[in-house]
Order: sequence, then C-alpha cells, then structure tokens
Amino acid sequence: MKILIIPIYILLFSLNGIAQTQQKIEMRIDSVGDAELNMSMTMNAQQWQIWNSNYGNNPSALKRDIERSMPAYFLDDFELNKDDMNRSFNLKLNAYGVCEINKRGKWIIDTEQKKAQLTKLTEHKYMFVSSPPEFGGNIQQTFIIELPVDAKNITIEKDAFGKSVFEFDMSPPSSGFNVMRYAGILIFLVGGAWSGRLIFKT
Amino acid sequence: MMKKIALPIALILLGLILTGLSFVNYNTGSPDDIDISIEKSAFIMPAAHRVYSNPEALDGKYYLFKAKITNNSSETLQDVRVKYRIPNYIDWTELTVSGEMFPGQTLVVPCYPKFDDNVTEKTTESVEKTEIEISWNGAEDDDIIEEDFSFRFTNRNEYVYTGIKSEEISSWADMYDNDALIACFVTPNDPVVKYYTQNLQEKLLKGEAASVSRKTEDAARFLSGIYEATRRSHMVYSGTKGIPKSTDDVQSIVQQVRLPREVITGNTGLCIELSVLYASVLSAAGIDPVIFMVPGHAYPGFRMNGQYYAIEATGIGGEGLGNIMSAEEAFKQGQKQLQEFFQRAQAGDPRYTLVDIHQVNAQGVTSMDLKDNDFMREKVDDIVASWSTEQQARPNNGGNNTIIVPENRIRTSNSLSFAIPNGWQTMMNPMPQMPIMTAQVVAPDQATTVSVYDIPVSNLQQGMNSINQYFSNFGLQMQYQINGNTVSGQTYSSNGNFNWIGKALKTQNGIRIVAVGAPDHLYSKNSSIINQIYNSIR
Repeated sequence: MKILIIPIYILLFSLNGIAQTQQKIEMRIDSVGDAELNMSMTMNAQQWQIWNSNYGNNPSALKRDIERSMPAYFLDDFELNKDDMNRSFNLKLNAYGVCEINKRGKWIIDTEQKKAQLTKLTEHKYMFVSSPPEFGGNIQQTFIIELPVDAKNITIEKDAFGKSVFEFDMSPPSSGFNVMRYAGILIFLVGGAWSGRLIFKT
Repeated sequence: MMKKIALPIALILLGLILTGLSFVNYNTGSPDDIDISIEKSAFIMPAAHRVYSNPEALDGKYYLFKAKITNNSSETLQDVRVKYRIPNYIDWTELTVSGEMFPGQTLVVPCYPKFDDNVTEKTTESVEKTEIEISWNGAEDDDIIEEDFSFRFTNRNEYVYTGIKSEEISSWADMYDNDALIACFVTPNDPVVKYYTQNLQEKLLKGEAASVSRKTEDAARFLSGIYEATRRSHMVYSGTKGIPKSTDDVQSIVQQVRLPREVITGNTGLCIELSVLYASVLSAAGIDPVIFMVPGHAYPGFRMNGQYYAIEATGIGGEGLGNIMSAEEAFKQGQKQLQEFFQRAQAGDPRYTLVDIHQVNAQGVTSMDLKDNDFMREKVDDIVASWSTEQQARPNNGGNNTIIVPENRIRTSNSLSFAIPNGWQTMMNPMPQMPIMTAQVVAPDQATTVSVYDIPVSNLQQGMNSINQYFSNFGLQMQYQINGNTVSGQTYSSNGNFNWIGKALKTQNGIRIVAVGAPDHLYSKNSSIINQIYNSIR
C-alpha cells in the first residue's frame, strides 16, 4: 500500500513561515484485502482558504489528484465531508486489492516505509508517523492501520528494500448460507422423523 | 410396512446426498466468475523506457497497464498467475503469483514493462499489442482468461506532452503532464555528449571548475561557454515536427525532439532541443541543470547555492534569421526572462514551470542509453575545429564570453543592503498593517525569507521592542539576543517556529534591521543560502 498524501499547495508569505500540517490517515483492511481509508485534516485559516479554492469547492479535482498520487491502485467510493466551522475535512474512500496473498499463502501489506517506527495500539491496530521528504517536512502524517479481526500470527517483516511489511494468516471468509447443505440436513431430518414415527407407530 | 417406510428412507438418502455434495469442491472457478478491468497507457515513449520499468519512478505514475481482477466465484482460487507479453519486444513475463484468491477478493496488478536497452534505437512509430493471460491451478485451457489491447509505441525522438485522457483535461498542467519526462532526453552519459563537453572544457574554456568551486560566476561562465560553442560552430535555430496525435482516449501534441548528440552533429536545434543539449552538457560537467518551460518556449539554466540562472539558448538565431546575440546578451536575456518566470510562477500562473533535471533524476526519471558512435565523434572533431577559427576564450576577467553575474541588490539611500539571490521575489511594503516592514524577499521555496524593517527609534533594543509589539498583534511571540549590531532569534506562532539572524544599523530616520530566516524544520537545510545572504548584508 503506497502512502497517501493529500496534495495541498500552501503559499505562505507570512512572517511565521510555512505551518507544519498534520494529516491523520486511518486504513481499515477487510476480510478480502480491500481497504477503507479515512483521511482527516485541520488547517489554519489561510491554509483552509487555499485548500478550499483548490479542492474544497471542487471535490472532483481532489478525487482526480488523489487517484493520480496513487497510480498503481484502483480507488472508489469517494466521500468528502467538510466542517467549515472548524476548518477541517474528512475524506473516505475504498482502495481495492491493498493486501494480497503471497506464494507462501501469507497475507502481506507493505507500509512503503523504511524503518517505520510502528506502535502496536491493539491486537490488530498499528500506528506510525511519517514526514514525507518531498514536502520538506511540512506535512506530518499519522497512519493507523487496522488489520482484519480474523488476522492471526501478525508479524512485521522487512522486504528486500528494507521496508516494513505486515504478514499475517487469515482464513477465507465464510461462504455464508449454503443452500444445498441446509436443504440436505432439513430433508434428512424430515425423512428421519417420518420413518421414526412410522416405526414407533407399528 | 416396507412400502410405507420407503418414502421417508428415500428422503433420508436424498438429504445425505445433498449434504455430502455441499462439501465437494467441484467448482474450480470459471472465466465468467472472474471480473477484469484494465487501465492502459495510450502512448509509450522509448526514450522513457527506464521510467516505465521502474515502479518507484514518480510514484509509479508511468505503467503500461494496471489490471483489477476480482474473484466473484464462491471458491478460493489457488496460485493465480498473471502474465503478459508484447510480441517482438517482451516475451511472456509473469507479473504476479497470488498464492490464493478468496471469493470476493480483488487483485490489483500494475505492469511496469522492462524493454531492452536497444529500444532507444527505434526510429519509427508503431502500434503494438499487449497480451495478458490469467490462469490458476486447476484451470482448464478453456478457463484461462486472455485479454489484449493496443498502444502507440512512438519513435525514440518523440515526446508526448500528456497521457491524460482528453475528457479529464482541465488545466494547462494537464496538457503538459509529462514535463518531467523531458529529463529522459537529457543524456549526460552519452559518449558523444561527454566528448563534446570535454572538448568544450579543454579547448574553448581552457579549463573550468564550476562543479568543484561551486561559485555561480564559474557556472555562469560555463553556461556562456556552451552558448559560445554553439555560436562559433554556426549552430542555427530550426523547427521540427510537432503535431497532435490521438488514440481512443488521449489526445496530445507529439513533438519530435532531436537528441543532444543529433543537435551537436546536425548543428541545429529548436528551443526545447537546445535546452536539452545545455542540460546534458551542464549535467556532464557536474552542474545542476534546469529547463524553464513557459508558454510556447523553453530555455535552459542551472541551479547553484539555491539560486537560478538562465540563458536564452536560441539567441544563436542563424544567418538566415539574423540577429545573432553575443553570449553576454543571451545571458542578460535569459536573466530577464527568469525574472518574469519567477514573478509569474509565484503569482500562481501554472504555465510557468521548471524541470530540475537532477531532482527528477532522483525520482527515477533517468536518461536513455545511447551507444558510442565514431562517425559522430568525428563530427564533433570538425565542430571543435570551427571554434578555433574565432577568437579564443579568455580567462574570466572581462571580454566577450565573460558573464557578469548581476549583483541584484536592494539599493536604498540608506545603508544596509544585501544581495538578493536570483529567482527570489521582492515585495515592497508587503503588510500595510505593519508599516515598519519596508520589504520582504521570499525564496522560490516560499519558506526562506528576508525582511527589511525601518523603525523610527534610536537604538536596536527599542527597534526590537517595536517589532515585538506588532508581532503580538498577529499572535506571534519573539525571543531574541542582541550582540552589538547583530541580532538572532526565534518567532513562535501556532503554525510553528521561525528561526532568523539579522543585522541592524542606525540611519537618518531611525534603525534599519535586515533579518533572514526560515521555519525551524528547514533552517539547517537552507543554512547555506541564509548565511550567504546574512554575510552579504552591509
């Protein structure tokens, strides 16, 4: 999973220089390896004005730029909620096929981070903080990765490039109500009860 | 009795059979249960073949295709394999093997094709086909999924301005979305370009050390040396083909870009070709090249010590075109254009962009491979011979090829002026609410800032108190130390800290303070330029 960066173009000429911006990105992986992403951010007045003129008032541009910032993924179901009073927004979207099963049958998800300082929050929830160098340290991103509840034997490995990778085991999701199986059991029980009744009657 | 019980027994047997069958995995998936959606690139440029093969280059923006494969069957597929080929270019290549694919699971497979290096010898455009095959364990021949699509494979000289679908284009930047790929045409490692650069350094400039000294004067001399070399060899400006081409989804101007080696040996080039030549030679000499893109034109320059310089490479014109500029005139013209460039860019005009070649190289946009060519080397020898027919280049102490780097100072009748680096924007009285601020000069990074204050007080301490009062009105707090006529400190706000150093001098009307600084997270990175400006304050 590549790191998502919400593109914001801040042109500050003020005395206090460029503000460091915080982004919170929560990624919830489901039982088939797709991810639901929730990104939220609060800005100061000047940043909010610029962000609104670029994206806030034109969500399709935001969608397009995010799709372009993650070219290797298929993204869907974008939903933007703005809180104008508090100068913040929340963007929700789905990313398909974020996790996959490798040749050894292990589920893997790549953090794309070298020496990621991962903090375990709960059994299935991890957090790390990143400050992408391409933004000159101006954006600090807090990532929270929530693995599926069925994930077992979660380990954090390193790939060939030294990047942190989550590995875990997970069974296939239940195939749900199996009509043939339950019909068979029902017919078997009906047949059994009927024949039992006949036997005891005689 | 037997007759009566036969029906219930039949029901029991039927129930057992159905229950048993429900555990049998008789379905191994069928093509109808697998959904595939493919997004493809419309154009592939051989010049950028190293970019297409690198998933890390520009965050993986340039792929051949990406496939979304969803298992809609009720069964888990084992060992799902995706492979592809481009007949005549790439044999069957496995992209991924997914150990298992659960019901409902989606596999996203991007394809970054690895072409042979000799693809850069492709001199004609063609339409090629990509074939994709998806299979899994237990799949019969009929089950294997085959997809294909075609794309335009340009020739090695063709540069496609954008790969964005025409329906999605909304801005100037979209129409020139491939700007970074121009770096693929910059070929400092081409043996012919290296040979030309060595001759330039040895025979025309009689030695140069800009990459070692890191002095802008030396780099400007080298830049003018390239111009002088092209002028002396009677290189001329000439156009090449640039026509709109389209596929089903994408429409773009496709420009023929002669490679630097072709510009040298052909002794002619268009603005973008000359820019690419300059960038190649500058890079080969260890200087950071930059190509400035403006509407309808491009010109080359370099970045050194946080400053930008440019030259109007097309000033060579040609005898048929008239008006051949001297190196000094071309440099002056370049600097003038550069000033306009930064004014427009900082005002938010998206048509004014630059490509910092070494920066995009670091992002994976690397140059194409070219083989050595004896015939071209001989041509370079002929060109080098033409240089000596004119006046020899003189040392950097005046003369035709000597470029005076503009000092570009804020000059006032008062004391304390300083050198403004090239490309920085000056704003006079930027904050009407703060009349003591005379000017502010902002770096292209929009972070490093020089501020000039004129305060009607009698000493530095009072001056700092006055600034502090204004700052508190804006919710800022300041901490500083005064040492003679120098002052350094930090400004705090909810947006972070700003570190600065400055000098003060008494003037007729009070105190002038000039301070230069940057946000604390950028201060160390920019300390070289900050110190340079600080030392120039006098």
